[in-house]
Amino acid sequence: MAEAAIAPAGETAPQVKDLRGISRAGRNDAIFHALCLSAAMLLMATLAGLLISLIIGGWPALSHFGLKFFFSSAWDPVADDYGAAGPIVGTLITAFLSMLFALPLAIGIAVFLVEFCPKSIERWVAMAVELLAGIPSIVYGMWGLFVLGPWFNDHVILPLRLAAEPGSFLEKFLGNASSGSNIFTASVILAIMVLPFIATVFRELLLSVPTYVREAAYGMGCTPFEVVSNIMLPYIRKSAIGAVMLGLGRALGETMAVTFIIGNSHAFPTSIFDSGSTIASTIANEFAEATTDMHVSALVALGLVLFAITFTTLAVARLLLGKEKA
Amino acid sequence: MNFNASSADTATVMVAPPEAERVLDVKNLDFFYGKHQSLFGVDLPVARKQITALIGPSGCGKSTLLRTLNRVYDLYPGQKAQGEILFNGENILAEKDLARLRARIGMVFQRPTPFPMSIYDNIAFGVRLHRKVTKAEMDEIVEVSLTRAALWDEVKDKLDKSGLGLSGGQQQRLCVARGIAVEPEVLLLDEPASALDPLSTAKLETALLELKDSFTIVIVTHNLQQAARISDHTAFMLLGKMIEFRPSSEAFVKPETEAMRDYVTGRYG
Amino acid sequence: MSAAASAGLFSRYGRRKLVNYVFVTLASMATAVAIAALVMILASLIMKGFGGINAEIFRADTPGGGGDLGTGGLRNAIVGSVMLCAMGMVIAVVIGILAGTWLAEYGDGNRLAGFVRFLNDVLLSAPSILIGLFGYELVVLPMHGGSALAGAIALAILTTPVVTRTTEDILRLQSNQLREAGMALGAGKGLVIRAIIWRASRTGLVTGGLLGFARMSGESAPLVFTNAGNQFFSWNVLGATASLPMTIFYFALSADENWQRLAWVAALLISVAVLSANIIGRALARGSQHK
Repeated sequence: MAEAAIAPAGETAPQVKDLRGISRAGRNDAIFHALCLSAAMLLMATLAGLLISLIIGGWPALSHFGLKFFFSSAWDPVADDYGAAGPIVGTLITAFLSMLFALPLAIGIAVFLVEFCPKSIERWVAMAVELLAGIPSIVYGMWGLFVLGPWFNDHVILPLRLAAEPGSFLEKFLGNASSGSNIFTASVILAIMVLPFIATVFRELLLSVPTYVREAAYGMGCTPFEVVSNIMLPYIRKSAIGAVMLGLGRALGETMAVTFIIGNSHAFPTSIFDSGSTIASTIANEFAEATTDMHVSALVALGLVLFAITFTTLAVARLLLGKEKA
Repeated sequence: MNFNASSADTATVMVAPPEAERVLDVKNLDFFYGKHQSLFGVDLPVARKQITALIGPSGCGKSTLLRTLNRVYDLYPGQKAQGEILFNGENILAEKDLARLRARIGMVFQRPTPFPMSIYDNIAFGVRLHRKVTKAEMDEIVEVSLTRAALWDEVKDKLDKSGLGLSGGQQQRLCVARGIAVEPEVLLLDEPASALDPLSTAKLETALLELKDSFTIVIVTHNLQQAARISDHTAFMLLGKMIEFRPSSEAFVKPETEAMRDYVTGRYG
Repeated sequence: MSAAASAGLFSRYGRRKLVNYVFVTLASMATAVAIAALVMILASLIMKGFGGINAEIFRADTPGGGGDLGTGGLRNAIVGSVMLCAMGMVIAVVIGILAGTWLAEYGDGNRLAGFVRFLNDVLLSAPSILIGLFGYELVVLPMHGGSALAGAIALAILTTPVVTRTTEDILRLQSNQLREAGMALGAGKGLVIRAIIWRASRTGLVTGGLLGFARMSGESAPLVFTNAGNQFFSWNVLGATASLPMTIFYFALSADENWQRLAWVAALLISVAVLSANIIGRALARGSQHK
């Protein structure tokens, strides 16, 4: 059919020879579309399955203990009595504390990178922050357990304990943790983990402020501090809060780093230097050896609580951030 | 300057080619982007193997009209056309087999869109969609298409190099070659030279003039001189309506409507 | 401003300068803290990790407790992790790219798409331990035991949202005219996506895969429930296998010095994998931006 290939069109309308090819192409399109749709549906099904399995698994414990589950700090596998107050409080405190530490640092880093950093080292500093974000959580856990914890214990807790008078407020404040594994150090590790993520998002948000806004502010004679605090941060306020919520979500759900260094005590903590536990660390530590069904169900119920907390945080974050950045 | 589209002064003036010579015939076409109507009762006769230019100020609907001709607007839900577009007598708005339609009405876009493949594969891609050819036949098709698009000499030694490595003008001619390789009856071009420098534009226009022997061409252009240079018929649009349709030899010399006169003499852009 | 007013530390201008100076110092210190933390962690990792490496690491399997310092290796854990990541990546990449393609190419004007995108984000931010729990209910219970397969599925559930997200983002970057050009030739939508759009997005898709891999190899929590570990070497994907993260989990929390040494080596290996994937992925992303 070489002649037809170079015949001028219009005199012979091109014969689409392989009619089967056209309808086959149509079928192929439909198959591909169905394939892509199934993948998307699979995602949905996975999340639904996750939620359902948490509810089913946790239901026995929740229905047995009722609301008491959330307020009791008893955790007695022998007597099959479980209360989630300890882990829930631990989760909330560590997340809150870590954000307290991480947020000012993250904002400082972001502002530094955007406004003050000399151009020559900016790439390296940014890369360092990214590397920090890339370190696996279990490595953070190990570093906390072997390096930060002991250091903190030897250089801060013990000297202060020795100096404190028995029965004094200071002694109580210093808590009961024997090694450096306590809520405070866990929060520090968590803060270091969450910090690079928040810093990166803040940096991108600051970079998204239009140049003319910055230039107008500088043109009026503002110092860099005033430009940042009065103009740029308010400009990104809504997205910034969303970013903070996202970081909070991560802090709430983190398992490995915290498990290594929180001390794993279910008692209701009275000091931030007490040992404690989070929902995630409790599940991680006890699931393998949970003997009774009620124990397992209590752990799953804990998981459901954690899911509810992180889901709420994420939903609020998305609302604030809008659809794009998450 | 009276932009009111309903004034008698802007009613359609058509000096159209006879029906027998029309390969495409748009009749009373309305077009909607969602609720917003952008074409109002447009008529457009397109003569076989001639170049028809669509001109008019920004937003007049010329690109919209062009894109109805090969139903490319179908990609976007919410865009719809009402009326008739006759292609060799059949109404393509009722056509279901769009792949086949687009084999017969091809399109070149404003910005060059080479596929991320070799130059050879860029051209072979469209051909392979519609028929099976041997390697020797394909080689010939590629050569012929590139020659007609005035690109063969510049790329014959690097057919296996990526199409993305060409200059803008070359990429655009590659897109033309790609479009004609499937042997359409009609070739639609949407401001094909707007992203090109004058030299590349000249080469493209020369190629189009030669292609006229084999293909019917409809070209949307912002460049009045270009329309005057290469087209046989000119259609002037304003605010979604067809105002004037004349042979190009007359259209630029003595436009009949005041609207077109003002546009052609540069009173508004 | 008169000369008198602009001089002096306690003038209004002087105060503003002071505040600014304090601010800059604090911001710089914050950055220094972050860098210091990075340096300290990497230093520990490198010193203890490299310090613990010997010829046996790749040859011997994980030893029992109480062994002499320097005995045993990580062979079974390394092989187990490789198996887990390979299987998990296959699942995650296939489903992730297809789902991301659906969101980008078929999802516009579709309310379901917005819903799916939201759910994807929820899955993305879900605590990994809950994914592990789900993997337990989904695979381990029916199979009456943990396995590498279960672990791979759990890791895939963790990673797929990452791939979906990056796929959708990169596909949306392609210009619509490219799609139209393909369809104007008569190609069907599926062919346009596969032959043109995917090809044009190649770099971005690879980056997404690398970032997913970085996430997957750094996660340990899901494995606690799905593939808790195996002291011995095993190729059997239907049974439990050792893995680097679980090895760390057991060994680090023990009091055994030899085990702790091996835990640091394992930590180093994981970190190298994750950081390389991160660096390569971001380098690729930056490189394609400069085109």
